[in-house]
Amino acid sequence: MSNVYVGMSGGVDSSLTAALLVEAGHKVTGVYMKNWTQDLPGMRCPWADDLADAKRVAVHLGIDFTVFDFEKEYKQNVVDYMISEYTEGRTPNPDIMCNQEIKFKLFLETALAAGAEYVATGHYACTESGKLLLAEDDNKDQTYFLYRVTKQALDKTLFPLGNYTKPQVREMAEARGLITAAKKDSVGICFVGQIGMREFLSQYITATPGDVIDKQSGNVIGRHDGAIFYTLGQRHGLAIGGGLPYYVVGKDMQRNIVYVSRNLQDETMWRESVDLQSIHWINQPVDEQADIMVRVRHRAPLVPAKLYGNTVRFNEAQRALTPGQSAVLYVGNECVGGGIVA
Amino acid sequence: MSQPVYYLDHAAATPIDERVLAVMRPYFSEKFYNPSSPYAPAVAIRKEYEDAKHILAQTIGAKGDELVITAGATESINLAIHSVQGHIISSSIEHHAVLKAVESREHTLVNPNKKGTISADAVKLALRSDTELVSVQLANNEIGTIQPLRDIAAVVLAERARRVEVGDSRPIYLHTDASQGFGQIDVNVARLGVDMLSLNSGKMYGPKQVALLWCKPGVRLSPLVLGGGQERGLRSGTENVAGVIGFAEAARLAHKQRKSESVRLMEIRDTMQKKLVDAFGEMILLSGNQKKRLPGSLHISLPGIDGERLVFSLESEGVFLATGSACAANQGTRSHVLTAIGMSDAEADGSLRITLGKLSSEKSVAEATEIIIRHVKKEMERMHA
Repeated sequence: MSNVYVGMSGGVDSSLTAALLVEAGHKVTGVYMKNWTQDLPGMRCPWADDLADAKRVAVHLGIDFTVFDFEKEYKQNVVDYMISEYTEGRTPNPDIMCNQEIKFKLFLETALAAGAEYVATGHYACTESGKLLLAEDDNKDQTYFLYRVTKQALDKTLFPLGNYTKPQVREMAEARGLITAAKKDSVGICFVGQIGMREFLSQYITATPGDVIDKQSGNVIGRHDGAIFYTLGQRHGLAIGGGLPYYVVGKDMQRNIVYVSRNLQDETMWRESVDLQSIHWINQPVDEQADIMVRVRHRAPLVPAKLYGNTVRFNEAQRALTPGQSAVLYVGNECVGGGIVA
Repeated sequence: MSQPVYYLDHAAATPIDERVLAVMRPYFSEKFYNPSSPYAPAVAIRKEYEDAKHILAQTIGAKGDELVITAGATESINLAIHSVQGHIISSSIEHHAVLKAVESREHTLVNPNKKGTISADAVKLALRSDTELVSVQLANNEIGTIQPLRDIAAVVLAERARRVEVGDSRPIYLHTDASQGFGQIDVNVARLGVDMLSLNSGKMYGPKQVALLWCKPGVRLSPLVLGGGQERGLRSGTENVAGVIGFAEAARLAHKQRKSESVRLMEIRDTMQKKLVDAFGEMILLSGNQKKRLPGSLHISLPGIDGERLVFSLESEGVFLATGSACAANQGTRSHVLTAIGMSDAEADGSLRITLGKLSSEKSVAEATEIIIRHVKKEMERMHA
């Protein structure tokens, strides 16, 4: 029996996580992490409802419940990071940053200081002696978001849902009478909420309209409302009518140009290798040229590749490797680390 | 069999009375006409609407054409407050509808004493030569304290007399938010000595989003909602006929049953209070003015206990009540009323608001009391485990 602090978001996953830990005989404390949110008139911010749900479940389970206020740190480390990445023309992944800086750093440290021996979350992933392993549910596996977590953090972390599938989790939550059993999964980035990324970013970044150029012909074929809003491989929202669809194949942030192409085989869309920066290894780096598997976005299939220094060479070309997103590296069922697409 | 429900939150909402619903029903269908239309059935509806307003007005000792019907008490309060230009005196324990409405104006908030009473002397001290409105609630929605409105009215009257004396034509009015208390205590505009009064249908077993603002003849209102000029131009929009018919019936019933209902509620409340005090002794704190309190109100606090946990745990047995603190670990969600009467954080966080009403039978409240005691004890044991 250990003293375990569980991050409870008010969703079904973390609710069941807490329930399973109680059943396993641990002394469990539920923690709602209050992260940064915007209060916008006309928008119902769901966090208060989520907090109430989390607390309801905690009361139902008869466990202690508390709120950790990480608003300031979350704003600095996650929100501001995301905004600055977009400003640079990249497409960041704030969930990965949230895990690295908030859940498996600040939350862990705060919980340990409060007397916890372990923390737990409702992530779909497994751990084994400081290793991060794929979850049982292929469809839900969340190791993509967890690759920047340290070994020291994993040593102190429990993922009780790693061996269950999502349907099983809902069933088990239902069987335990948890009020969150049928609650809809949250989608998208929590603090961006319903307004959408474009509108969110517009509040922080002054975007200037610029030219959309057809890469093949070099002709200006339209206007965009700010290059920061566009992501490699994106098809929709280009406001170019008629004929075959255009895809974003590049951006020139200096000149505020968005390059598009109708050529699905465009070389910038399909790349056989990619350079990584800010590489993070959970344990040991993999050997040079070792066979690895790579995931280039959440829920994308694992694809075979080899690592040469900071360069990942895929066995087969990959589409739309977006600067700012992460390429996460696996050996067998172990997530060994990864890096950010340069 | 479904789980019994023990509803102890009548200050939040009341179920519509069957008799009220019955008189409203035709106005959703066969009596759907716009009262402003010229043909006979519509003219008939106009008359029924005006008659209902008259009945409604009578329950507070007023006349039908002195009422402005609004969509809810919040609007009624906003209409009253936005009708004056000068300084406003109100209290720090008003409903947010009042507190938010006065925010944009020059205003002074008078603090209550520990029992939640706003003294007439405190109002007097806050008076300025440019004060045009005093707005004090009839009774507090959280702790149930009944305010000494007649004494406050005397202060306003004296100030008005003084202004006449010195030839100052600036008006001064007394408004009260009477959302809480109708059907439990006497609400008569002449006896209270007020110039404006807001009354809420949704708290007296009538439909929600219907309320009134009563004004003494001579009080000049400036409308917030402009349009077709309904309600003497003070609140435009097609009349909510069904709502007003229901409101009038609800008010009539509540007015008629007021004396017996207040005695009934007081007895049940006092029995419940005694049981809780017996069970928890010195651990329990009773809030509000024990002598001048709404008959259905019982506000208790168990410092150290998390009231919100109790709300969540009691709901599993069908006991529904309120607490003065949502999300206890979160600053800023503590009740401004409890803070204003000087409660510590622990006292506010451990508070439970019980408001009895028509759904509270002697038997159901006795059962609910046992459940509450059991859950509080369980929570105490859990905390000390």
